[in-house]
Parts: sequence; C-alpha cells; structure tokens
Amino acid sequence: MSTADTLLDVRGLRVDIPTPNGMLHAVRGIDFDLKRGETLCLVGESGCGKSLTAMALMGLLPRKALRTADRLEFQGNDILSLPEKAFNRLRGNRMAMIFQEPMTSLNPALTIGQQLVDVHRQHRNVSTKEARERALFLFEKIGVSAPVERLKQYPHELSGGLRQRMMIAMALMCGPQLLLADEPTTALDVTIQAELLRVLRNLQEEFGMGMILITHDLGVVSRMADKVAVMYAGEIVERGDVYQVFNRPSHPYTRGLLECLPIPGRHKHMAHLPSIPGVVPSLIGDLTGCAFRERCQYAEDRCGEADIDWRQLPDGQGYQCILPASSDGVASEVSR
Amino acid sequence: MYRYILRRSVSGLLLILAVSLATFFLMFAGGDPATRMAGESGSVADIIRIREAYGFDRPIIMQYLSWLGGFLTGDLGRSLYFDLPVSSILVERMFTTMRLGACAILLAVAIGVPLGVAAGCHPNTKIDRFALLFAVVGQAMPTFWFALLLVIAFSVTFPILPSSGLDSWKHYIMPMVVLSYFAAPAIMRLTRSGMIGVLDTDYIRTARAMGIVPRKVLMKYALRNALIPVVSLAAAQFGYMLAGSVVVESVFAIHGAGRLAWESILRSDLPVIQALVLCFSLFYIVLTFLADVVNAWLDPRMRIS
Ligand SMILES: Nc1ncnc2c1ncn2[C@@H]1O[C@H](COP(=O)(O)OP(=O)(O)OP(=O)(O)O)[C@@H](O)[C@H]1O
Ligand code: SF4
Ligand SMILES: [Mg+2]
Repeated sequence: MSTADTLLDVRGLRVDIPTPNGMLHAVRGIDFDLKRGETLCLVGESGCGKSLTAMALMGLLPRKALRTADRLEFQGNDILSLPEKAFNRLRGNRMAMIFQEPMTSLNPALTIGQQLVDVHRQHRNVSTKEARERALFLFEKIGVSAPVERLKQYPHELSGGLRQRMMIAMALMCGPQLLLADEPTTALDVTIQAELLRVLRNLQEEFGMGMILITHDLGVVSRMADKVAVMYAGEIVERGDVYQVFNRPSHPYTRGLLECLPIPGRHKHMAHLPSIPGVVPSLIGDLTGCAFRERCQYAEDRCGEADIDWRQLPDGQGYQCILPASSDGVASEVSR
Repeated sequence: MYRYILRRSVSGLLLILAVSLATFFLMFAGGDPATRMAGESGSVADIIRIREAYGFDRPIIMQYLSWLGGFLTGDLGRSLYFDLPVSSILVERMFTTMRLGACAILLAVAIGVPLGVAAGCHPNTKIDRFALLFAVVGQAMPTFWFALLLVIAFSVTFPILPSSGLDSWKHYIMPMVVLSYFAAPAIMRLTRSGMIGVLDTDYIRTARAMGIVPRKVLMKYALRNALIPVVSLAAAQFGYMLAGSVVVESVFAIHGAGRLAWESILRSDLPVIQALVLCFSLFYIVLTFLADVVNAWLDPRMRIS
C-alpha cells in the first residue's frame, strides 16, 4: 500500500501508560497513512488519544509511556527503532509540531529571535544572520507585522495570535515535510482562528508539506482536511476522504459528531446544541467489543461479544462497526 | 533593563534611608542615652555633661542629620568599651565576615546547583536519593555540632587543618564548609524542584519538539528559568550567613563581625551595635538589589514591574 508518495505509514500504533490502577491503553492499535502535501484531520472527543498519537509520532511521549507499532515509517524509513539521537535530527527539521497553548509554548526567558535561530542552526550549518533572514522570510509568509522588531521581543510582549504565528514560524524554519498541529487554534478567538487556518493552508500548499491537524471542531475539518480519521477511546473508528466521511458517515459515533455540528438555522442557540449522551469508557485494561456500545442507539448483543471487524469500502472509506455503510447520511445537510 | 536598574536603585536608596532612621532611633530604645551612659552612680551633673558632650540636647532631627553625615564620611562614633573610633574596629571585622561568607555562599551554590540539577533531571533515582540525604543531613545537623565534628576529625584526629583563626587559606576550609553546608541544602532543593517544574513545561516540550539537543535544552532552555528563584534564595542565605556567623566565629575563634555583635550586646556598646546593624542592613539591601538585577537579566518579564 505504501508508495513513493507516502510520507507517513502507521500500522498498529499503540501507546500504553502504566498507572497505579493498571495499564492505560491510550492508543489501541491505529492504522493510517499520509501522502505528501496531504492534510489528515484527527478528530474525536477529549481524551480519545489524539495528542498522544501525535506525540508518539514525534517520539515525545511521557517518559513512562510505551510506544509499540507493527510499522511506523516516515519517508520510507523505520522510525520506530530509531535511536533518540537520530530521531532528534528529524524533529524540528523534517517533522515539526505546533501546540495548542501559544501562551506557554515559547520560552519566556529568550527572545523570539534567539529561539528561531536556535532551531535553524540546530539542523542547518548557517550563520545567525542567515537564520534571521529565514525567520523574516517566514514572517512575511505568515503575515507578521513589524517583523524585524519581533525578533527582539520576548513572548510575553506578544498577543496569543502572534505567539502562535511565531510557533508556526519556528516549526517551519527548516522546511519540514511533515507538520503536526495539535489544536493550533483552539485557544484563540474566532477571527484569529480563521486567519491562522488560512495561513496554515497556504503555507502547506506552498511548501508541499503533509499535515496532521488535530481538532475536535468539525468546522475546522471541513475547511482544512483532505482525509479524516475519527478517533474514539484510543481507536480509529472511521477513516476516509473528507467528503466521504461527511456525506456518508457510517459509524454511529461519526454520525453523532456530525449531528452536534452547529448549522445555521438548525440550532438557534449554542446552548441547544445536541451532544452525544453518555461517557467514554475507561481506557484502563482490555476492552472487548465495540468501545462505543454504551452510548450507541444501534447496539446489539454481538457488539459486546467480540472485537468488531474493520469494514473497508471499495472507495477507500472504512469504519469499525457491524452496521452496513449508510447511504443517506445526516451529513448531507452539512455544507462544505 | 537599564531603566529597571535605575528604578530599583531609587527604591533601594529609599530603603537605606528608612533603615538608617530606624537604626538611629535604636539609640533611644533603652531610654535617655545620657542617663544610661552615666550609669547607676552618675550624678545629675554627669548626665548633663554627657548630654552636652554627645549633643543629646540638640533637636532630634539635627542629631539624626549629623549622625548620618558622620556615617557617610566614615565617622561611626566612638566605642564605649574600647574607647576607639567604631570604624577602626568595625571595618576589619566586617571584611573578615564578608570574605568568609562570600567564599561559603559560592561553595554552597557550586554544590547545591549542580546537585539540584542532577536530582531534578533524574527524580527518584540514586542521584536524587543521594541529594535528598545530603540535604536532610545538612538541615538536621546543628551548625556548632558539625563545626565541632570537623575540628575533632581534621584538627585533632588527623591534624591537617588549623582549628582557629583565619591566617591562611587552610584556615578558611572548615568554617567555609560549615557555613556552606548550612546554605547548600535549601539551594539544592529549590534548584531540584525548579528543574522538575521547568522540565515539565510546554516550552521545554517545544524545544524538544524542535530537535534542540538535550544538553542545550537543559543548559539554555531549562536552567535559566529554574534558577530564577534560586538567585533570591542565595542572596537571602548570604544575608543569614552573616547574621548567623556568630556560631562559626566562636567555634573557630575568628574575629569577625558576628562575634563583635555578640560581645557588643553583652557590653551594651551601643555605637558599635548601631553601626553593625546599619552595616548588616546596608549589605542586605545591596544583596537583594543585586539579586533583583540578576533576576531581571534572567527573566525579562520582571523588567516591567
Ligand atoms: N502522562 C499521562 N499519564 C497518564 N495518562 C495520560 C497521560 N497523558 C494522557 N493520558 C491519558 O491518555 C488519554 C489520551 O490523552 P490525549 O492527551 O491523547 O487525549 P486527546 O485526544 O488529545 O484529548 P484533548 O482533546 O483533551 O486534548 C487520556 O485519557 C489521558 O487521560
Ligand atoms: S458496533 Fe455496535 S455498538 Fe458499536 S457502533 Fe456499531 S452498532 Fe454501535
Ligand atoms: Mg490533546
């Protein structure tokens, strides 16, 4: 399945964290791949393992967490068994990541310039001057006002939106092939969100990066994604091209998520926004059968008896449920 | 940064002024100084003579100004006990204590910070346990006892170090070790907890996500932030060390300011006490000023407030 175009090939990725109450299986064997220049959105409720998936790809899991996989390849090279030192040469260089919290993700004691220059000089044999020029070049692309002054400023002197632009610039200093963005706009207000998403998409097209965008906002998915993977309790329960998943959501959880999407005219107030009733099961210990069954209106006995098979549709969409693929889809009302 | 230093200097000077006022009024704390100086057997005539000789009959503000003026020109009055200018006794003693304190605090930082960093980077490992043991022992052991143990070990059992005075660098070793072992545990603990806290922050995660090599993450991205509280602590410890030097100076028979203070209190030698209090306070103010400047250099957020 992997071709020359494949940037990232992930099979059976697991993340297990030992806790006092037992082993917490935060990511339970997920598969996906990403092609050059493609955007994959990872969606799902809080705690379903999105961030840990990204951290596992970056080799930045908490120290006690265990990462295993059947295959974990970046640009055709195995990165699962890569020694830490070699992995460090990829991070910030060929793969980079931006985080949700712009207020705390930059070092308060160093100027923006120092931090950006450090990243560039870590991976490229360039002078400080050249690194600064690279930063200014990116500032222009990202739409940063007064770029030269910014280099001399400290993070606390900048607004949240600007700080996140600095994070983006930092991630792009070395021109990575893969960009991981973990809820990059969630902490910002709506107008800045839209602006930053536009910036990200433009940069991605210009540099031809593959991007994994983590979000729980389906509105963001519809604007950004080529492909979607819906996560629930550490598993991917549905995956496919964005129009397939939006128009033909086949897993009841995906349908639930789409029904919760605010649609102009349908929901007058945010307070009336429906949400999926029930709570996510504990991730500690083994789960047999479908993790969603406590909350699923279609649940049957066999849903809890054995693990549910993955159903692959001929056009590439797939999902993990006993139900046949839906033909209508709630989401036909959702406009892209 | 320069603006910050300027502003901080002004507030430091105001503080010095306030402290000098408070010290000045110390003189009157025990009632009329002339009566006290005349003693139990002093007659009324004696009291009046003393009052005129020392200028206690002038308005209080004039007395303060002339006292302050004297202080600024190095005239700290006369010791009642030695009948010598206070400055001739004090300066030497002050330098002795400060020199010892400075050596000790440097040693405490040189031990406490690296140990704290090592422990903070590897919590709950052997090195961390060792650091904790080091700290607990240091904090539990009374200073005089540790000093005596050292004397027994290195002056009596193995006579390799001199036990009294400060005549050569060898004399400095034991008092310095005792004083620094008093300060190092707190410095170690604060460095350790600072390091643990900082290594867990988002900005360290960012640095690692950008592939910055671990040594640089530690030394440039983490340590700087972790040391911010340690600077103030070390300055405060230095201050305590001077104030608390009386024990070490007694054990090692060092003629320092701590011992002078103790003896002067016993002798009610008011001018000396006054001068010592003022010197210690001044030194403390200068220390905190320096600590604040270092902190502002480490942490740009402090420069605004
Ligand atoms: N360091 C850790 N130790 C123990 N459990 C953890 C740790 N980090 C994450 N978890 C658990 O792993 C699960 C997945 O966490 P993760 O951060 O990946 O969720 P997420 O999908 O990113 O959620 P959110 O939308 O809130 O960011 C959660 O149930 C969380 O409690
Ligand atoms: S497998 Fe059963 S419980 Fe799970 S989503 Fe499908 S129908 Fe619902
Ligand atoms: Mg997350």
